[in-house]
Amino acid sequence: MTPLRLNTDIALSEGYSEYEIDSDRNLELTFRASGKCDVFVRIRRADHIRIRSFIEEGAEVSILFWNISEKDAQIDESHEVMKDAKLTIAYGECNSASTKRSTYTALRGTNASALVSSASLVQSKKDYSMNVVNFAPHTHGEIRNYAVVLKTGVLMIDAIGKIVNGARKSESHQTSRALSFEDGQKSTILPELLIDENDVQASHAMSIGRMDEDQLYYMMSRGLSVEQCTSLVSAGYLMPITEVIDNEELRETLRSEMERKIGELC
Amino acid sequence: MSEVKTLEIRNLHVSVEDKEILKGVDLTVNENEVHALMGPNGNGKSTLLAAIMGNPKYTVTEGSIIYDGKDILSMPVNERSVAGLFLAMQYPQEIPGVTNSDFLRAAMNVRSEQPVSLFRFIKAMESTISELQMKEDLAHRFLNEGFSGGEKKRNEIVQMKMLKPSLSMLDEIDSGLDVDAIRIVGDAINSLRKENGMSIIVVSHYERFLELIEPQFTHVLVDGRIVASGGPELAVKIDSEGYDWLYKEYDVVPAAEAEANARKVTSIGTCAVRESVKGASK
Repeated sequence: MTPLRLNTDIALSEGYSEYEIDSDRNLELTFRASGKCDVFVRIRRADHIRIRSFIEEGAEVSILFWNISEKDAQIDESHEVMKDAKLTIAYGECNSASTKRSTYTALRGTNASALVSSASLVQSKKDYSMNVVNFAPHTHGEIRNYAVVLKTGVLMIDAIGKIVNGARKSESHQTSRALSFEDGQKSTILPELLIDENDVQASHAMSIGRMDEDQLYYMMSRGLSVEQCTSLVSAGYLMPITEVIDNEELRETLRSEMERKIGELC
Repeated sequence: MSEVKTLEIRNLHVSVEDKEILKGVDLTVNENEVHALMGPNGNGKSTLLAAIMGNPKYTVTEGSIIYDGKDILSMPVNERSVAGLFLAMQYPQEIPGVTNSDFLRAAMNVRSEQPVSLFRFIKAMESTISELQMKEDLAHRFLNEGFSGGEKKRNEIVQMKMLKPSLSMLDEIDSGLDVDAIRIVGDAINSLRKENGMSIIVVSHYERFLELIEPQFTHVLVDGRIVASGGPELAVKIDSEGYDWLYKEYDVVPAAEAEANARKVTSIGTCAVRESVKGASK
């Protein structure tokens, strides 16, 4: 695990690497990747972080940001994805502090693709603004958010997929789902598709609400209590985020960490 | 807890959205017995099973259900399940994100003091999947998500086999199954019966399935009441002759027809027009 306390330019090496952000001051980080890289970034302590990444031609990069900061954090990101490159970026937000995140992903070259996803166990305020813009033809952008909103939690997601004029045969898709268990919770999800080209495919799906009564009855009819049902379904919402990185050991660590949190809170 | 597990239903009245569906049902099911519930559609068969299981959409307004000496109606759905009741549903729900194996392991663990070991669970799951002739990846797929109608029905029986209830209710579990699948499901149910003396209440429209399950008792539900009870011969007679003889013999009108009769009064204008048109064309 490489600690990150000062502004740093990082050339990502092939294969798996781990970083830990531990800073109570402003921090600027730049990632560059040209090969196949799996990156795990633990955010232990943060204030205001700026992150930029350059995913060069043909590169294939997965980055999982795992926020465990006890302090509220503001994170601004921009990602540039070049020709034939593939970026998967994921945010695991199961900590108790608030996060204000703005992330901008530009699909610059033909055949570039990006998946931006989040899994949040919302106990405080989680405010995300997510932009994925298709600038080139044959590009593929996707936003995927899954959140379980607890009693004290407030969720706000502004998800924007944009296809500029000339980005023919491009695709922009998004799915955002928030599950809540109690009355009087506030979740806001704004899905937006800004399309300035005819020859494209785009879609959005969204749901906010409590667990379906028929599903709950079905699960209970096999002997599970309401609490067990909600924690199984919550795990189903959030666990897939751990599969972003191809590293079995890490996956197990994160899964058990999430299982414990879900067990305690849901 | 009594030695012999008996289900006793007395004077059960059940409503859905203020409409009374069951109007006083009495039924006793002893251990090891198989009861077939028959009757035309919309006359309360599924409602009875749902009320026993505790579906929140159905309100019991009067009567009692006792199982194994316990007042079932005062128990939440999950406790009824742990008490030994199982309902194989007509329309099983899809639960995305929750795998069959996680779900079943949790359901097995609530009925044993010690958690089921992973090894024992996997072995049991594998043998049940092969018994029901389902795809091997079933355990890792999400609960019923993207399953065909037949797969969902078979998965209900997989769950039944794993949870080993003492009383199973089968709500048209055979619909959507082809001939081979009906036999597979029937065999699986019978082997569990042999193993644990499970009693069964079965709702089915198919003679073939009833032949496999061999109910000793037949009950006919018409307009929310059991109007006739008998042995297997009653089911055979209904299968060959339908319900008309029964309506005459017991002087009952099925719910759908009763409703239509009531509606006729309001539509008399249309009828009058139709009658006059008929008259004119003659």
